[in-house]
Amino acid sequence: MSAQKFHVSMSPHLHTGVAVSTISRNILVALAPTALVGIYYFGWSAVKVLLVCMVVAVACEAGMQRIMGKKITIHDGHALTIGLLLGLMLPSGLPWWAAAVGALIAIVLGKQIYGGLGNNPFNPAAVGWIVLSVSYPGYMNLYQAPRAGLMSFTTSPELADLPLKLVREDLSELLSFPTWELFIGLKAGGIGEVSIAALLLGGLYLILKRVITWHAPVACLGAAWIFCIVFSQIDPEIYAGPSFHLLSGGLVLASFFLATDKGTMPVTVPGMMLAGALVALITMLIRYWGGYVDGVYFAVLLTNAVGPLLDRIRPAVYGRVKEVA
Amino acid sequence: MYIPEWQGTDYKIETFPLPKKVILPMEQHHGGMCEPVVSKGEKVKTGQIIGKSDRFSVAPVHASISGTVTDILPWPEPRGRKVLSVVIESDDKDEWIETAQPDPDFLSRKPSQLLSDLRNSGIIEIGTPAQPLHLKLAPPERPKMYLFLVGIPVLKKVHTLIVSAIDPEPGVYVRRAALHNFPEEILLGIQAVRRISGVNRVVLAISENDPVSPEVLKRFDEAGVELFVASGKYPSALEPILVKQFMGKEIPLPEGNCRDVGVLVQDVVTVYNLLAALREKKPHIERLLTVSGNGISRPRLFIVRIGTPVGEIISYLGGSVSGTGKVIMGGPLMGYAQYSLNVPVTKETYALLLQAEREVHVFSPDPCFNCGACVGVCPTNLLPNELSKYCEFGRFADAERNYVFHCIECGLCAYVCPAKRPMVHLMRYGKSEITARKVSA
Repeated sequence: MSAQKFHVSMSPHLHTGVAVSTISRNILVALAPTALVGIYYFGWSAVKVLLVCMVVAVACEAGMQRIMGKKITIHDGHALTIGLLLGLMLPSGLPWWAAAVGALIAIVLGKQIYGGLGNNPFNPAAVGWIVLSVSYPGYMNLYQAPRAGLMSFTTSPELADLPLKLVREDLSELLSFPTWELFIGLKAGGIGEVSIAALLLGGLYLILKRVITWHAPVACLGAAWIFCIVFSQIDPEIYAGPSFHLLSGGLVLASFFLATDKGTMPVTVPGMMLAGALVALITMLIRYWGGYVDGVYFAVLLTNAVGPLLDRIRPAVYGRVKEVA
Repeated sequence: MYIPEWQGTDYKIETFPLPKKVILPMEQHHGGMCEPVVSKGEKVKTGQIIGKSDRFSVAPVHASISGTVTDILPWPEPRGRKVLSVVIESDDKDEWIETAQPDPDFLSRKPSQLLSDLRNSGIIEIGTPAQPLHLKLAPPERPKMYLFLVGIPVLKKVHTLIVSAIDPEPGVYVRRAALHNFPEEILLGIQAVRRISGVNRVVLAISENDPVSPEVLKRFDEAGVELFVASGKYPSALEPILVKQFMGKEIPLPEGNCRDVGVLVQDVVTVYNLLAALREKKPHIERLLTVSGNGISRPRLFIVRIGTPVGEIISYLGGSVSGTGKVIMGGPLMGYAQYSLNVPVTKETYALLLQAEREVHVFSPDPCFNCGACVGVCPTNLLPNELSKYCEFGRFADAERNYVFHCIECGLCAYVCPAKRPMVHLMRYGKSEITARKVSA
């Protein structure tokens, strides 16, 4: 009847249109307020770190795929999100070459060496951060005091200590950090870690866009909150309370953007909840008694390692006939 | 998961003109083939049996137009195989064979007589798998002919009949249209099913998305039919999901069916069709069909003779095939893509969908990156991400251990997959490999 050729494929013949690039774009949009607030507080140094991380991440992705003879997939935006996430986790005083090393490690050792997107067991951005902080602890301590607006571009940066570090050494320092300032980000910290307000905005956007579900962030923040409540009740002289710990360090960033990472975190609902809680638990263990000031990225990495195990807790399959023992 | 629909149908049912040629495959449901009982060059009348089998589990095939048998040869059918088919060239007269007189009092007949009428009419039940309706309504536990002949079928007891007016897939309107247009006929059909199967409770299932006119609902209520409003999420219409929503019980998969939990699920189109077989004594030669897609401004509903080639439907609608990228028989999520416009409408077909070239979804060979989108939508709580990888890399024992046979192939995992993996394809591949290995072992 007609010699015209048609597409033939298995069902289904519809698709939501959500591809990897859509997810990456949404994550970039969600991170945008955080990045802008970071630049507002830390000025050129923040711009430098973020740009270097993103450019190096994308270049390394393309280079690695070229070397391995694979299809180059930088257009899916995944490398860009890794670069941006890593940049947001870093202190603004970091020299540019160290940022570049971090991005290179994140892409090459964190992602591509395993075979690319989805085959990496560990979160690439967390891998990059950990390698940097183990290798260059001095440079990774170059946190700057936030200065708002134009000031951050004109005045020379001043180094400052992390609130977590100060409070750990002397609990009375708590008084110098009003909750509101911690919330809007007037404190030393990673470029994207400081503004909890912007992170919450981005996280909510991702949940509303259905890129992530609420399970992991809520479990993570909830578990940290309960943990802090318990210990600050046991001895308020030694342990800082939940509002301080939730609002400082990288916990909120990790709960929305790392604990929900696609590919390295569990996919079942119980798995996601447990993974979120585990991130919070390990973080708090490190913060209270560990050797590092903020252990959240170590916690992410350790949780990644047990992720496949958590995925074994699965929902009951429909229509399963119970085997007679 | 909610899937947007192509709106704009008014549920008006049109009768499609007599086709010039029909192709009637000898196998139109799961369970066995018919033998052609006509020969090339023979004149046939509408309603004449042209293929039958002695097996109890096979429904006969009737000529859907009158004319001349021009060929008996393997022909492509909607599922993509070639099946021995009888080709009839129309004489445009639509001359009917002598059928028995219509029986308005059919409800007073014995269930076994009704069942035997159903068997002779060749009507089938669309489902997974499609089977002749008499098997669904009254399956003997062991199919033995003498049980059927003496009229004492051995049954698993069913107590509830769910009459489903929820369309199987988004963009398909046949069930809603049937309920809208033929409520009285459906009520009569329900009584017949009730008489045959012995159920004492009848429930009409509709979807929360699709309001049904209050008069229709009132009429059903008066007739003692309960109403069940199912979730508007796809795939509420699939039997295992509907039964779970309705009574909270799960059908044991993969072997079990609704009967195991005491329920019979019947769609309204079949209930309507069954009336023609029992009251008018006419064989099953027509189907209600949704036609939509490229170049067709709104979904349209036709009563089409079985065997009508797809190409004839498209040219009747004035649709040009240029620019059409995919021709799908069935709905957008579970339908079969066609490579030829010569495939006929069969007893299983409920929709014809044309996709424009730019609408065609192309699967990608990219690896799964374990995002978990499929896990959240799977209606049977499987982990499609893992299963698809097991099937892809040949770890069939693992796939079977992780319940690949519980997959009902609704297509949602592939619908949401950001890596655009051909999930359903991989599941079917796994299932067929496992089955083949078991057979050869």
